[in-house]
Amino acid sequence: MTQNISPAPEGAVRYVDGAKVLDYLPQVFNVKPSSSYYFWLMAPALIVLAAISIYPFFWLIWMSLHNVGSSAGDTFVGLKNFEKLLTDDKFWIGWGLLFKYSAFCMFFEIAIGVLLAVILNGHRFENILVTVFLMPMMMAPAIAGLVWYYLFNSTFGWYHWLLQSLGILGETSIIGSTDTAMAALIIVDIWQWTPLITLITLAGMKRVPRDQLEANMVDGASAFRNFVAITLPNIYPFLLIGIMLRFMDNFRFIDVILALTGGGPAESTKVLPVYLFDVSFVFFKLGRGAAIALTLLIVTIILCKLLVRVFEGPASKRTDMGS
Amino acid sequence: MFQVPKNAIYNSISRRKFLELGGGAATALGTGSLAVGLNSMIMRTPVQAASSQEAKMKQYAGSKLVFMSENTPPSFAIRDKIKDFYDATGITVEVLTDDLPVVYQKVGIDVKGGKADFPVFYSQDKPIGAALADYCVDFTKFIKDDTLPQDPDGYGADVWFDNFLDACGSMYEKGKIVALPYDAAVACTFYRQDLFEKYSKDFEKDYKYRMEFTAKTTWKNVLDYATFFKKLKQAGQDVPYGYGQHLGTFAWTTQLDIQRLMYSHGQWQDFNIDDVLGSKTPGPTNWGDATSVEMMKQFKAMSDVSHPDNLANGTLELNSVYQAGQIAMQVQYHEFAASVEDEKTSKASGGKTAYAPCPLGEASWIKNGGKAVNGTNCGIGGIAINKNASEDIQRAAFIFATHAVSKKLQYSVLSGLGGTPTRKSVLAEPDVVAARKRPTKMPNALTFEAVYDFGIKAPNFVLGPKIPEVNEYHKILAAELSKCVAGKQSPEEACNAIKKQTDNANDI
Repeated sequence: MTQNISPAPEGAVRYVDGAKVLDYLPQVFNVKPSSSYYFWLMAPALIVLAAISIYPFFWLIWMSLHNVGSSAGDTFVGLKNFEKLLTDDKFWIGWGLLFKYSAFCMFFEIAIGVLLAVILNGHRFENILVTVFLMPMMMAPAIAGLVWYYLFNSTFGWYHWLLQSLGILGETSIIGSTDTAMAALIIVDIWQWTPLITLITLAGMKRVPRDQLEANMVDGASAFRNFVAITLPNIYPFLLIGIMLRFMDNFRFIDVILALTGGGPAESTKVLPVYLFDVSFVFFKLGRGAAIALTLLIVTIILCKLLVRVFEGPASKRTDMGS
Repeated sequence: MFQVPKNAIYNSISRRKFLELGGGAATALGTGSLAVGLNSMIMRTPVQAASSQEAKMKQYAGSKLVFMSENTPPSFAIRDKIKDFYDATGITVEVLTDDLPVVYQKVGIDVKGGKADFPVFYSQDKPIGAALADYCVDFTKFIKDDTLPQDPDGYGADVWFDNFLDACGSMYEKGKIVALPYDAAVACTFYRQDLFEKYSKDFEKDYKYRMEFTAKTTWKNVLDYATFFKKLKQAGQDVPYGYGQHLGTFAWTTQLDIQRLMYSHGQWQDFNIDDVLGSKTPGPTNWGDATSVEMMKQFKAMSDVSHPDNLANGTLELNSVYQAGQIAMQVQYHEFAASVEDEKTSKASGGKTAYAPCPLGEASWIKNGGKAVNGTNCGIGGIAINKNASEDIQRAAFIFATHAVSKKLQYSVLSGLGGTPTRKSVLAEPDVVAARKRPTKMPNALTFEAVYDFGIKAPNFVLGPKIPEVNEYHKILAAELSKCVAGKQSPEEACNAIKKQTDNANDI
């Protein structure tokens, strides 16, 4: 049946199939607002965003093209700051260490985080255990760095004493050797941020359709097969969020590193953001620092796009299968 | 409820009006508190040269200054006694303290940004002074100003310990004073006298000379002592390691650590520049020459027999290692004597530790034909005034700076918190003279003979290098030196890497 709806002749009165209808709201509220109306609604947020994000971004680009902070004033140097990076060994070593650090952190955090989520999901003490596991995340990274610094210290560190007593370490502390200092940073990162992956994965597991799991089990699938075939594809989008967050954090968090090793010993933990900090706030070469920061930003964006694409593949396949 | 006048503008306050008034008040309060909280504030009562000393002291009564300083005893003492300064001047001073690298970063951002949120700041001679000298006020203009209160002892080079004014005050231009000496850390040797006595005979059997520490003890002797202790330890004896180095996260102290060794041997210096004034164009560094390679080899040799966690131990950690009884010797800054002598925290206290000058150069190690000296270096913390501040704030800051370096305050820090004076007159006080011998109430005074009577005198004392890129230089040196110590590169490679990067940083 089609309805013959005529526009209201005036105000809130209109006729539907010949019957007089009074709209509850005056017609003026049903008029589509102009685009400028939306603009003014968004304006305050845009101004705040511009002030805290867009302006500094353009300022960063400006700085990367200048020699900034000298007593003679700022001078335009073109792409010289970028050119210097090409021959700067510490810049390239910093990238290498950053990828190594991020890759190890992500691998262990995803593996342990998902495993913990699987164990905790539906556990009778789930709520209590999740709360306990979340505690490290609540600590400020700089404080976490200091706490672990004291634990690892070879003179009075309790963990050092434990590891030494177990024969894992000698008299040299884990942060005092170029071979193990990176491991110390990775351990602290895993300790602090694996709970985030656990939390996100747990949230994802709550959304796995029960009927799919049950149907698969009826077909004789084992628990492991069930996890791989049903649970994992369903938690992909959640894992993607977790991985992206951690990936970006690893590329910018330097609090723990500065507190624990300061990039040493012998620059074995001087990941690129730590080098960026040195260049900008120890050497006060803000132009060169801006150039490093820009490359870091661009690579982060590219890698995030790649990550999304990698994870979108299985996710879209799952959607196709579902439809 | 309340009497409302008939001619009142508002007989009652509407909700709109209430919100308007409230909003206005909040904005005014917020702006006001920001202005007062973040910036210094100045109030001035003009004075003349003939005005009384009290009037000159009080000319900026009602003003506020922010002092950014390192978290060391003099700063704590100033903060504790800030009421005395307020009573004398009427100037409120907010004393902010932090670790030295953080002080440098905060002050650097402030001054290079053209601001004066920190109108008066701690200026450690090389990491802050040499890097930010262009942003510091020249004190000479205030010292000559007779409308400002002046210290009765004056500020000439002779009132401070030898070279202290030059160390923190002379930067790149002769005649200018960019900071006044406020705090001092001078290197000397701390060693376990009890262990030296206990093992002296065993040592003599192996090495054919006595194990002792005097001004004639050389770096070669120190290497022998450290090797001896390590051998004992490897043989299963319950002894500490012999020696420890400053190789932790703070690059500057690593540079100072190897500088002592290098200067001892032919007075080798990093650049061919005036050690007192420094240079903004230092030219190529001397790293990579025969002396530097030899010294790097010896530093590595020393490292191989030192405490195994050398690479993690900066200056503070090294002192903790010594306090914990894990090493028998350390070249350390004399301000640490107070902590070493603290019986509650130190196993090396109670007369076990003795203090001696820094080791002498070993003649057979010298490659440049120079002479062997007891290479001694320092960190002389100055107090500096921000050039970006207004003239009146600078003048008020000067009044505070003179208070901060006054004899009265320095004596009070030494006797109360374990400070290290920069004015000679403090040492003439009878109780300070008495404190130089055990038992003492001022443990830092036990180091004064090694430091003030010997180490800081020519030809032992080295001040530089003062160059604008000093912090980058320290980082380069510390990184390559640590790689050598860790066995990642040879001494030659380390020296060449330092040369290449340093020359690059200095645009050579």
